[in-house]
Amino acid sequence: MNIAEIRNLSMSIYSGKGVPALILDDLNFHIREGEILGLIGNSGSGKSMTAMTIAGLLPESAQVTSGSIEIDGKDVLKLSAGERRKLLGEEIGMIFQDPMTALDPLETVGKNLDEILRIRNIPKEERKSRIISMLETVGFIEPERIYRSYPHQISGGQRQRVLIAGAALLKPKLLIADEPTSSLDTVTTVSILKLLKDICIEMHMTILFISHDLSVVNNFCDRVMVMKDGKIIDSDNTEDILHNPKNAFTAELLTKAKLDPRSLGLEFSEVDPSGSPVLKVMDIATAYRDGFFGRQRAKNTIEGISFDLYPGEVMGLIGSSGCGKTTLAKTICGLLKPTGGNIDHCSGKVGVVFQDPVSCLNPMHTIRWHLNEPLVAAGIKLTKEEREKKILEAIKAVGLEEKHLSRYPGRLSGGQRQRAAIAMCLILEPSVMIADEPFSSLDASSAASILKLLSKINRERKTSILLISHNLRVVRTMCRRVLVMSRGHVVEEGMTEEVLKSPKASATKALIDAERQLS
Amino acid sequence: MEQAKYIGKRLVELFLTLLVVSFLTFAAFSIIPGDTASVMLGPNATAEQLSALRSQLGLDLPMSVRYLEWLKGAFTGDLGNSYAYSQPVISLITDRLPVTIGMSILSLLMVLLISYPMAILSGRRPGSLSDNTLSVFGHVLFALPPFVLSMLIITLASAAFGIYSVGRYVKPSSDFFGYLGCLLLPSFCIALPKIAMTFKFLRASIIEEKASDYVRTSKSHGLSDVSIMFRHILPNSTVSTITVISLVLSDILGGSLIVEQVFNLPGLGRLLLAAISRRDFPLLSGMVFYLALITVLLYFAADIVSALIDPRMRNNREGTL
Repeated sequence: MNIAEIRNLSMSIYSGKGVPALILDDLNFHIREGEILGLIGNSGSGKSMTAMTIAGLLPESAQVTSGSIEIDGKDVLKLSAGERRKLLGEEIGMIFQDPMTALDPLETVGKNLDEILRIRNIPKEERKSRIISMLETVGFIEPERIYRSYPHQISGGQRQRVLIAGAALLKPKLLIADEPTSSLDTVTTVSILKLLKDICIEMHMTILFISHDLSVVNNFCDRVMVMKDGKIIDSDNTEDILHNPKNAFTAELLTKAKLDPRSLGLEFSEVDPSGSPVLKVMDIATAYRDGFFGRQRAKNTIEGISFDLYPGEVMGLIGSSGCGKTTLAKTICGLLKPTGGNIDHCSGKVGVVFQDPVSCLNPMHTIRWHLNEPLVAAGIKLTKEEREKKILEAIKAVGLEEKHLSRYPGRLSGGQRQRAAIAMCLILEPSVMIADEPFSSLDASSAASILKLLSKINRERKTSILLISHNLRVVRTMCRRVLVMSRGHVVEEGMTEEVLKSPKASATKALIDAERQLS
Repeated sequence: MEQAKYIGKRLVELFLTLLVVSFLTFAAFSIIPGDTASVMLGPNATAEQLSALRSQLGLDLPMSVRYLEWLKGAFTGDLGNSYAYSQPVISLITDRLPVTIGMSILSLLMVLLISYPMAILSGRRPGSLSDNTLSVFGHVLFALPPFVLSMLIITLASAAFGIYSVGRYVKPSSDFFGYLGCLLLPSFCIALPKIAMTFKFLRASIIEEKASDYVRTSKSHGLSDVSIMFRHILPNSTVSTITVISLVLSDILGGSLIVEQVFNLPGLGRLLLAAISRRDFPLLSGMVFYLALITVLLYFAADIVSALIDPRMRNNREGTL
């Protein structure tokens, strides 16, 4: 039995006077009852748009131009807007990528979920008891407390559980999960996937699972479809697709997703551990300010952290969300003032690249302005020609071209923006580069290319890199040494291979365990 | 507990602000040139008369002593006597307060009652005919200075239609609805540009909130656009608009001082002008202090309202994103 049947579905987006852009091109597929169907592909290939089209949540500028969507035997495209809305929650449940912002911050968790039942005229007492019992089903030990909490008082993983509770509240037949784990750390990802699987079996739900993380898909899905440029180009059961790909594009996607140093041709600089370090971090602690005059200090967020970084060395920094990795990065590059200890930059410069290339570039300015900004801030006096030459050098070093300089960030892809951000960091020729999850918001192809770029920078310029990542595979391929953080402390450090092979600290073991469960 | 701590913290800030304002007011009026005694007695006064009056008014005391005396009075409601009117300053102010306060409250109500529906109609579908019409209308209101609008409206209402007579004022104690009627038109004149400002800001905020993730979640829950607008988008846009509304409020207060001149109403504006031209120091500093007090209280109220709507403001330590 098929729960959903999609035939000849095409969808276009109309913008202004121009020719409408064809987003979905003649899709034909079905979703079987009880299965978990994976949908993979690069960003912009139309995965999310497929989901939104099925759910009927397209923006007003989008229009289905042909085809039919049958859900549980009904052609939903023939329904009125009100009838389609009724399907949402009852027949189709949805969860999305970023649980941090997916709940209304002004209402309690309970109130956020209450609306699903309220609009269906269910009496108040019943609503509360149903929500509480659903919160219990998704794994909350104190459902009453979560019910009363505000979204900002619970963690990202907990919020995603709340959203799953909402999506499953009316026991819909189809659950659409659009990158539900991409913004979560590995340990949380594993627990969310397990929950989805349990719920799927318990409530007889079918899942359409969209992801760009192939190891998650491999572990989770029964069948996989591959999308490219709005078309489904490959589809088979997971085993055949991911281990025995016949389609050339799928094979390429897989190679890139493995982030394997040999197939990507990665090479790193030699490291001389007897030489003098380029960065010395000695027993630092950092706290966020609090209190009336900003004087009172909250508990130290990180504490007692010491390490040296040698010229040309790539060092990994791993740990689950909230363990203080980013706080450490900010402290080293001077964005936060340490409350104790010492950081010696050894007369070199420290550059930093952050996770989200969308929000770290100013949309009002061109890439040229962005590259000039660090030079201005550092007070480097240059003639116009020298400045232009330096900017050109930096943009070419990251694999972009001169024409990109006059563009605004909005006109670049995610991967290109991250390259621009790296160029901003390189223009001051830092001896140390801190890369805070530089590819976790990018798809497999862009991630692989950014990884290549980092290895090239390291090899050619001998730039030392402190790489923060929750992807152990990347850390394994890139980093000579690794630091493991947990609750603000470094709990383990050493040569990457040794640490990951025979971990001692329980935090390291948990990370490795989670990764193993995914692959 | 969290709430009490938050309000306590805000109250301390409020008190400190008032202290600084009171000192600056006092210092400013003590430093500016001109001798009150010679203004009061005229050019023919003798030196003895001048010094007698100075000591009678306490002007011969050191500034720090005078400031502390005045501060004590300010917080107990005793601001001394006006030089020009020979009446207690406090009663001069409270006599005229109903006009200014009444107009401010009416204007605020008009701003809220008109700008919200406008912003909802407009932000619901950006780029639609209703949005474009309302936006142009908003720009026109925004561009015209209030006194021009006032004169236009007076001419229309009194000369053309004869429904309003300029300068008519009824005390609230004698006829409350008559009092409101007298203030309606001037309040509208103050409100118009502020309606445009609030509308513009709220519209932008509604459009921004409409694209947020929690709206998408509610859509996936099956909610209609209308209930998403009222249940989620409006409260969230209000949080970011409250700051603007509190700015609008202090603008309204300032605006009413001008508009009551145009409409010839016995409010604080006229008293302020009289006090300045006659160098009536106690009256002037008292008025500035109380206007500052009202403004600070308005900001305080805005903070409390935001905290009531937004739980992240109540315990902002965990609330940082």
